[in-house]
Amino acid sequence: MSASVVYLDYAATTPVAPEVAARMAECLTREGTFGNPGSATHAYGEAASASVEAARAQVAAAVGAQAADVVFTSGATEANNLAIFGTAQYCRDAGRHIVTARTEHKSVLDPCKELERRGWSVTYLAPDADGALDPARVAAAVRPETVLVSLMHVNNETGVIQDLGAIAELCAQAGNARVHVDAAQSVGKCGVDFAALGVDLMSVSAHKAYGPKGAGALLVSRRRGVQLTPILYGGGQEGSLRSGTVATHQAVGMGAAFELASAAPGGEHARIAALGERLWRRLRELGGVIRNGERAARVPHVLNVSFEGVEGESLLAAVQSHLAVSTGSACTSATQEPSYVLRALGRDDRLAESSLRFSLGRFTSEADIDTAGTVVVRAVERLRQIAGT
Amino acid sequence: MTYNELTRRYFEHPARQGTLAGPDCYRGAAGSPSAGTWVQFDVRIARTGAATKVSEVRFLAFGCPHVIAAAGLVAEEGEGVTLEPRLAQSIHFLRERLEAPVEKLGRLFVVEDAWIAALRAAAGR
Repeated sequence: MSASVVYLDYAATTPVAPEVAARMAECLTREGTFGNPGSATHAYGEAASASVEAARAQVAAAVGAQAADVVFTSGATEANNLAIFGTAQYCRDAGRHIVTARTEHKSVLDPCKELERRGWSVTYLAPDADGALDPARVAAAVRPETVLVSLMHVNNETGVIQDLGAIAELCAQAGNARVHVDAAQSVGKCGVDFAALGVDLMSVSAHKAYGPKGAGALLVSRRRGVQLTPILYGGGQEGSLRSGTVATHQAVGMGAAFELASAAPGGEHARIAALGERLWRRLRELGGVIRNGERAARVPHVLNVSFEGVEGESLLAAVQSHLAVSTGSACTSATQEPSYVLRALGRDDRLAESSLRFSLGRFTSEADIDTAGTVVVRAVERLRQIAGT
Repeated sequence: MTYNELTRRYFEHPARQGTLAGPDCYRGAAGSPSAGTWVQFDVRIARTGAATKVSEVRFLAFGCPHVIAAAGLVAEEGEGVTLEPRLAQSIHFLRERLEAPVEKLGRLFVVEDAWIAALRAAAGR
């Protein structure tokens, strides 16, 4: 890729860390642990299995879980699907109601819509104008027949952090619904402690944390006795919850990436926060800009800004030869639809369309931020001039 | 979204962007920013004998790169035309030149409507 394009889309994906790639490569070739981890009859299989179990322990340690809680999947999307459909099927006789939020990722919303087509009832909670959910409102939505509350920890578009600890506590008082957390954006960006949160299920992703794409996990709390009905059959791997040969290199890459995330230098969070504020200060000089999620708790890695007086497609076109940023989420940007997340925060279509998500990461430098600030300020000023605003 | 070279050029360097003022200047606009596309043309007219022609054009545009490029092209190619309320070339031909997807046609019609409004204002119709 052109090094002249500043990459500020770490919330979409991250480059695999070199040390992670090296660990993965060791699992691929004849000299490495290429065996099938399910082959218990020979040393190749045992070596691969040992690598997978070591990775499982690394993932668990990074998120405050037990190794037995970790079910490797192809990513957070599959983990979310397993959590939702697996709960729906397992608990179908206990009730057919789910609580979620309008600002969830499509990999939660679309399974919920599918369940609605199958006769389930789903409550889609609206956040406040900053994207935060009031835990009491979440608990109030729980009914006797509610079997699942599925909410994300860190929003992929705004970086807003939901108070999942409080939500889980109040939901436990309100009923028997399980709590599932989509924590795809959390690892390495803010503290995640599966056990301390008191939730039942948690989805995590490798490629948001300098691991490989195609790797993720669903944490299923054994301590809380959570059981699911699988959505894949054929082999009984992963405690019969996810059949299919475990991709050793993907699991090892995920484990290594999560271990790195846990060992990130203490100053990294502050460095990212300072860079984000530096960019915001520069953009704020334009006037007519709104930082989405301004008053909510946010991870510092994501800065989502709406620009008044400019058209969204033109704004992206004006910056994209210099910057890799997102409008809306990466999963929906191809549709050219205004971000449903920002619309849920009360932004109108025009303002939602004219929003940019800057997401910072390990390799973001002060020079990158200054380039981004200059490019965006020039683009907005030019487009406002063309529009006469 | 990718853009062809013509769109890129007129989007990045809209030479006739701005406004005109004076007794021989007329204005027409169409669309609205709240609907996603708004275009305004200012035309200066020159009378030479019985002939009245557009001598100078400026535009403002709120819209996608195709709209901005189309407005710039219409402004450029509108200088020297008579006050007949139509585009020198059809909006369909303009869309083809810009290689704009067909779903952008509605936005490009706003450019045409603004141009016709400006010429009608100039012609006193």
